[in-house]
Amino acid sequence: MKLRRIMVLILAVSTMFALVACKGNQAEETDKKDDKPVATKAPEATDDKEDEPVVEVAPEPVTLRMAWWGSQARHDKTIAVIEMYQELNPHVTIQYEFLDFDGYFQKLNTLVASDDCWDIMQMGGNFPAYLSKIYPLNDLIADGTIDTSNTTDAFLKTTRYNGIQVGVSNGVNTYGVAYDPALFAEAGIPEPQEGWTWDEYAEICNTFKEKLDIYGSSKFDDFAAGCGSGIPQYGLDYNFYATTNDDLGFDDYTLLVDYIQMRADLTASGGYPDPGAIAEIKDIEGDFLVTGEAAMTWVASNQFIALSEAAGRELKLVPMPRRTKDGPAGSAIQSSQMFSISTDSKNPVEAAKFLSFFWGDAEANKILANERGMSIFNNVIKALEPDLTPEQIKVNEFVNLIGSYEVGETNPISPAPSQEIQDYYKLIIEKVIYGEMTADQAAKDYYDFAKSKFD
Amino acid sequence: MKKGKSSDSKQVLKVRRFIYNETTAGYIFALPFIIGFLGFTIVPIVSSFYYSFTDYSLIDKKSWVGLDNYVKLMGDKRFWNSVYVTFKYVITSVPLKLIFALFIAMIMTRKTRLTGFYRSLYYVPSLIGGSIAVTLVWKELFSRRGLINQMLGMLGIDRVSWFGDQRMALIPLILLTVWQFGSSMIIFAAGLKQIPTTYYEAAKIDGANRIKSFFKITLPCLSPVILYNLVMQTISAFMTFTQAFVITSGGPNDATNFYALYMYNNAFTYRNMGYASAMSWIMLVVISIVTLVIFKSSKYWVFSEADK
Repeated sequence: MKLRRIMVLILAVSTMFALVACKGNQAEETDKKDDKPVATKAPEATDDKEDEPVVEVAPEPVTLRMAWWGSQARHDKTIAVIEMYQELNPHVTIQYEFLDFDGYFQKLNTLVASDDCWDIMQMGGNFPAYLSKIYPLNDLIADGTIDTSNTTDAFLKTTRYNGIQVGVSNGVNTYGVAYDPALFAEAGIPEPQEGWTWDEYAEICNTFKEKLDIYGSSKFDDFAAGCGSGIPQYGLDYNFYATTNDDLGFDDYTLLVDYIQMRADLTASGGYPDPGAIAEIKDIEGDFLVTGEAAMTWVASNQFIALSEAAGRELKLVPMPRRTKDGPAGSAIQSSQMFSISTDSKNPVEAAKFLSFFWGDAEANKILANERGMSIFNNVIKALEPDLTPEQIKVNEFVNLIGSYEVGETNPISPAPSQEIQDYYKLIIEKVIYGEMTADQAAKDYYDFAKSKFD
Repeated sequence: MKKGKSSDSKQVLKVRRFIYNETTAGYIFALPFIIGFLGFTIVPIVSSFYYSFTDYSLIDKKSWVGLDNYVKLMGDKRFWNSVYVTFKYVITSVPLKLIFALFIAMIMTRKTRLTGFYRSLYYVPSLIGGSIAVTLVWKELFSRRGLINQMLGMLGIDRVSWFGDQRMALIPLILLTVWQFGSSMIIFAAGLKQIPTTYYEAAKIDGANRIKSFFKITLPCLSPVILYNLVMQTISAFMTFTQAFVITSGGPNDATNFYALYMYNNAFTYRNMGYASAMSWIMLVVISIVTLVIFKSSKYWVFSEADK
């Protein structure tokens, strides 16, 4: 009897420990699953980290955590570079994870709240919300840990905020419209030319619907097309967000009406997919341009390559339509995204060393192949030049063309409430599509909503 | 020395008595749950109550804003829309699900050799129903070129844009819920077995037909089970999240923007954690009231042995 009781007790206690231990194991296992090729180096690494001096003489084992969002092509390429770096620097272990855009930021938000951010994190124009978590790179650039000798201050500026170097651009890109020239020929529609207008765009969409019974256009990035780049199309001194990032950059809500009205009209005519069809587009591979159900689609220039590969036929790139033929283009070159180091990192110097390699090493960038955007490092651009594919040449020419446009003081940054404002824009367009509001009411309502977020 | 030894043995005795006490082992076994319940339920509940009075954003320092979040909610059109959509969903999906579950349970009470097999088979959707995988399958089924539209096409009905029409978008989500009738069905089946067959025999002798005996015998005898299922399913329907999150992301035009989804977006996408906390407390109050109403009403329709 006694024995049984003791056994029960032991069992209870050991169950408890097992549960706790299981949790630890699980975490480790997922790590391993994620980076299967990473030979687990010196498990003490994590324990040592805390009392390890930041500047080290003999390389002590270091573990860095890193995350990004993107497409499968990006995951494969980034992982290959991580493996390359680990081979060259056996004391470094990089635990990586990759997610889709929404999932990435939802996870990051929770990590921020628990002061447990990844050492290296990918960041877009929405970085201001995370400023308190971003480790300034100024000193690491000044002391040469991050080698920026092959780029210019103008490029570094694209990721500087109030004097703080929040990251270094992974590449620059710009928005454009990709189209299928074969479908244009089939429908007998002349291909869109630089300087085309939104009216022409709408007409093309409707003609495709009439002649071939397909969508003229696949999913557009409504916020970019109607607000981010759309508002600057009304004049060089307009921006959707003020350059100070604490207000909107225009006063007249009616500037928003045209795009909303056009979208509602095109959805009604069938030249543009309805919201249900749009919800079915999961990734680049599923874009209606790729599947042949649409003749045009919105694209960030760096994604044009993946788009062409997915389509398997010739696609062309044209700048986004303008308000008026001679009006401002609205689009500008921007940093597509960057890597930043988090203030939670215990090894910012090691993280910076890896990033310096990631950004500036020619061999590494031959693997990355500008998938994140056109590199801002001259040595990388030169090294890639001989092996460029026709698609990559098209993209580079396109970026250079947009770069030659006259632009006002542009603002590629999304202030903290941007996500909410963008979601609301989507909703308001749908309200006009379903006839609950006129475009004018919607524009006013949306303007007031966006404005109220800066009160 | 001697004194010390005796107190030592007293200590040992005490420890022994503590260890050998039946309740001690019980508590130790329950410890994982107790820790989990305190850490993952009680602490978040209490802290969310505190957060609901702050402008906590996950990132920046929070400050006390009093009732601001609650006041703002009252003027938030998307909030009221999410309340409306959620009620619409609860009121349609719960009765449908219970009727369906009861119907299948009745069929399953027939004694054949395959009853056990079928019962397990019909329970499968409930096991996998909440998962992302099934939800994605559902999304494909109802897509523009999905199976459902192809079948409609064969019947000569035009393609329906299920998720592109704000009047239709809720229907696939309700069907997905109804399809997960398994757990209610099992409980109904158990309840049906409890009804003495003598009641039916007596009714038959008195000349009652099947429909009459269903309404006069089955439903009254089953009413306590119906009450239980109704309460459980209503609560879970109020908290529905996965379907809308995966299939529609709340669209089109917020037609499927369930309360839980809007709350989640506020918390983790828009980073208005304080606002979302306030929403969750309103949700708690609403669910409590609805549950209370159901319980209060039960004395008019739930038949219990004691009343006889």
